[in-house]
Parts: sequence; structure tokens; C-alpha cells
Amino acid sequence: MMYVRALPTTDVNRNTEWFTYPGVWTTYILILFFSWLLVQSIFNCSPGMAWTIVHLAHFAVTYHLFHWKKGTPFGDDQGIYNRLTWWEQIDNGKQLTRNRKFLTLVPVVLYLIASHTTDYQNPMLLLNTLSVFIMVVAKFPHMHKVRIFGINADQ
Amino acid sequence: MITIPYLTAVSTYFSYGLLFAFGQLRDYSRLIFDWCSTNNLQGYAPICLAHEDFYIRRLYHRIQDCFNRPISSAPDSWVDVIERYSNDNNKTLKRTTKSTRCLNLGSYNYLGFGSFDEYCTPRVIESLKKFSASTCSSRVDAGTTSVHAELEECVAKYVGKPAAIVTGMGFATNSAIIPVLIGKGGLIISDSLNHTSIVNGARGSGATIRVFQHNTPAHLERVLKEQIAEGQPRTHRPWKKIIVVVEGIYSMEGEICQLPEIVSVCKKYKAYVYLDEAHSIGAIGKTGRGVCELLGVDTADVDIMMGTFTKSFGSCGGYIAGSKDLIQYLKYHCPAHLYATSISTPSAQQIISAIKVILGEDGSNRGAQKLARIRENGNFFRAELQKMGFEVLGDNDSPVMPIMLYNPAKIPAFSRECLRENVAVVVVGFPATPLLLARARICISASHSREDLIKALKVISKAGDLTGIKYFPAAPKKQEEEKDRMKLD
Repeated sequence: MMYVRALPTTDVNRNTEWFTYPGVWTTYILILFFSWLLVQSIFNCSPGMAWTIVHLAHFAVTYHLFHWKKGTPFGDDQGIYNRLTWWEQIDNGKQLTRNRKFLTLVPVVLYLIASHTTDYQNPMLLLNTLSVFIMVVAKFPHMHKVRIFGINADQ
Repeated sequence: MITIPYLTAVSTYFSYGLLFAFGQLRDYSRLIFDWCSTNNLQGYAPICLAHEDFYIRRLYHRIQDCFNRPISSAPDSWVDVIERYSNDNNKTLKRTTKSTRCLNLGSYNYLGFGSFDEYCTPRVIESLKKFSASTCSSRVDAGTTSVHAELEECVAKYVGKPAAIVTGMGFATNSAIIPVLIGKGGLIISDSLNHTSIVNGARGSGATIRVFQHNTPAHLERVLKEQIAEGQPRTHRPWKKIIVVVEGIYSMEGEICQLPEIVSVCKKYKAYVYLDEAHSIGAIGKTGRGVCELLGVDTADVDIMMGTFTKSFGSCGGYIAGSKDLIQYLKYHCPAHLYATSISTPSAQQIISAIKVILGEDGSNRGAQKLARIRENGNFFRAELQKMGFEVLGDNDSPVMPIMLYNPAKIPAFSRECLRENVAVVVVGFPATPLLLARARICISASHSREDLIKALKVISKAGDLTGIKYFPAAPKKQEEEKDRMKLD
């Protein structure tokens, strides 16, 4: 039985503090892997198509959760994070931490796997490239609290 | 320091992900169904934003029957829990008139003053007849009686400080006093696991807040050094004052604060120490004087000592004890003293009588017996739980022991299984605790007898087997050890 030690963190934001405990990265990667297996068994498609589907679904889900939804899912903190997306709240706003680097790397690695297994063929390549471009640009340190053209800004 | 099996951590994240995904799906389908129906807001803004109560609607309501259970008797070692039922899958709960007698492992009844006491209750009833239930006024208008004055002297003497001020509510003591002590331009450094009342008070004061790693004096020193060197944000002027806020016993962990090291760090950097002894006053230390007595810290080194009377004294309200100047200043400035109704006189009498019993001034040694019994009970219970293989947090001598559950599904399973066997436990999950670390918090009382504790252990062991929370290997029983020894001979 493998045990890990968990030190309590200094992050007071309950919405993002769970990401600092051990086991999150492994769970994330395992969810992606098992969803690839699931997609392959449901749609009966080639492994490359399955990776493309996983990559695009990952883009849709994580873009919505990390960069679109603002605030926290509970009311205890009295709305002090209501203007910040989850990506801007994580690690208390500090840029270029280990968690942020890991989360930026995952869509890139997925993109490489998806493009490689589909042999860089065209309709999939265009969609994959667009999604990884949007994902990585949204995570740049310069994009902290930036709302382009007022999209997703507050009233 | 919590030790989690790795598989449990991964499965807990996965469970929360699944619950979150289902909650979102239900929200989306609700959105689609309500697209056609009109809302009856009539131009007013909605009270809460759609996402703000997501956690309450989709996760908390599902297991609502494990929380907020109403009781219909005094919070003694055995309590009557009212039964409830639900017809719409826990969205609303209806009370019945039936109640079950359960072993009470959830009340903060550390010294057993939570029910009829032969010394305290007659005096409280006397006081009720003479002074009536409420003073109907704030302290400065007409709400100070002789009992209030006696109470403040009594508390100051008990805690070991020159003077004290008493307010009617424990939570309000923190949230009303901290803004009076420090304002904009000051720095509050608080432990990362401090109670919500301290967080509210700190946020309401307008001072800058920094957090240090739980119970780690080395990190506190690093934070102090950094902050003193940097000064106020943007202007970099020196801070007007620095207050370090710690608690005596942390109620969610059962850990005792490392007070001597923290006090020496604060003295080195000239920061004030604010000690919140809500759970530790009356429960630890040889004469129940709290964490200062237990760890041998001189009370003159702790600048502001705060505590509540709701845990060990069986009453309501809170106090702040400090130097005469500090208390004089608070009496002129604190809104809880100037505007809030004073603590009701019978409750004040209960506190005075409880303190007299603890110190032995009522002529018997019941106080010393109670203190010895809670220490014995706490240590026995903790040792037995650890032998059975549960992960129990907290230090020895602390009457609070959380048992780790981790997975969200184990929270209602453990609670309901215990209730079925007539043991009432309190379970806590996210967001009161970190996401991964849901737990069942057991509070031992001096009024629990040895049979009560053994029954509780049996029930908890059975519930623990069913829910799979014995994360550590159980210690081998003594009979097997003797058998092995005989085999070797």
C-alpha cells in the first residue's frame, strides 16, 4: 500500500487549493487515458480518430472550466473571486508555477499524440492545431486578467 | 501531517469529478427545461448567481440528512435525535415527532457541563428568577449587572491576565474585536487553518492578510521576515502593527498549537500574539487553564487571549483577556460591547459556577475529577481507534479526534451507519475541509463512561469495516501475540 504525505497548503481559496495535493496529476492523466479507451470502444474508430476526439473534447471541457467560468461554486468566500476564472485563481495568481506548467503541457502533448496517430491528415490537423493554439495562448502569463474584445468581461 | 494511501487520493479526485460532471449535466438539463418557462423575478436581480450555489444544490443537498440533525434534549453524553424523512430525494426534509436516544459524540461538551449539574443548575435557575432571561440592553446602557462584573473578574483571574471583557456570542467576539484592534496599514498573519470567525474579522478589518503554513513556526518566521522587509504593499512604508493569530486547539485537526516556538518568533520580530482558545480553555492543562498551562508558556507573553464559553463551560459567549489598557480601549471602541445586547445573566452565572467547580472552589474535587476523566477518555479512545487501524488526527491530550474518511461517498455512509446503531457523529466535508480530506470529527466528553466509549468503539469499528476507512493495518491483538510466544517456547 503506497502512502503519500499531505502538508496543508497556505492557499485560502478552497476552489483551487485541492490542486496542490498529491495525486491530481495522476488522476488527470488516467482520466484522459481511460476516456481514450472509452471513445475507441463506443465509436469503434481508429486510435488516431479516438485521440483527436479526446483532444477536442478535452479542449471544450477545459476551456469552459478553466477560462470561461468565473468565481467559485460555493458562496462562503463572499464573491471575492467573482471576476477571476479558475486559471487566474490557481496558485493565488502567481505565474509559471509547477501546476501551471503541467496544465500548459497536457494539451500540447495531447496535440502531438493526436497529430502523430492521424498521420497529420487534413481535417483533423486543422482542428487540432486551432484548439491547441487557443489553449496555449489562453495560458500565457501576459493573458492574466485580459479579456479580448470584452468577451467574458463583467457587466 | 496527513498520510493518504495513493489509490484513495486518486479515487477521491475521480469521485468528485464524477459528482461535479453529473451536477453540471443536471444544471444544463434544468437550463433547457426552464428555457420555455418564464421566471417570476419581475425585473429584480436574482439573489445568488447561478454558479454560486452549485455546490449546495448538486452536492450538499444529496446528503443533507447527515447534517443539521435537530435534537430534543440537553447535549449530554446521550442525546435524543429527532428523526426526519424526505419525499423528494433529500431536497426537503420533514421532521417527525419521534426521536431516538443516541450516544452523543458530536457536542463540544468537554467537561460535561452541557446538562444538569448539581452545583451550576440551581444557581442558574436562581439567577433566572432574579435577573430574568435577557438584560434587554447593551453593556453601556443598562445591561451590566453585578454578575457581569463578577464574571469579567473571574475570567481574568482564571485565565491569568489582569483584565477581561465578555461578549454575548463567541463567533462575534472574533469578528467584532479584530477590526477594532487593527486597520488599514496593519498586517495580520494567520495560520492557514484558522476558523471562519477569525477570517471574517481579518477581512472586515481592512488590514493586509498573509497566511503561514499550519503550525510551522519556521514558515511563520520566513513570512514575518519577508513582510517586514517589504513593508506595506505599493508604498513600502513600515507596517503600523503586526498581529499573528493562532488557535489553541484546531477544531478540524485536533492538533495543539506549537505555542512556545511561535511566541519566541513573535517576540524576536516584535509582533503581537492573538491566541484563540475556543476549544482548549477548560479542556487541557492540569487545572484546565488551556494551552498556555499545558505547554508552559507565561501568559504575559501572549498579548491577547480570546476564548469562548460554549465548549467547556456549557454556556454561550466569548471573552478577550489582556492588559488593563487593552481591555479599557476595547470597552470604549468595540461594537460588540457598545451596541450588542450583553450576555444573558443566567448564562453568565453558569460560567461563574462552572469556573468555581473547575477550580474546586465549590468545596468538592469534581473539577479535578472531570479534568482527569476527559484526559483519560480522550487518550483511551484515540489509542483504541489507532489500534483498530483508523487514521486519527490530533495530538495526545486533545479531546477532539477527527477520523479520516476521504471519499465523498463515505461521508453519508459512515454517518448513516452510525445513526442506525444509535451513535450520533458529526461528519465534515468540502468546503469546511480541503477537498481531499473529508472526516468524521469525534468530541469526547468527561461525562462519557467507559461503557459508552466501548459501545462507541464497537459501532465505529463496524461502520469503519463497512465503509472501508481502516487505512492503516490494525495492531495485532494481545492474545495472538501470546499464542505466538507460546509457539516459540
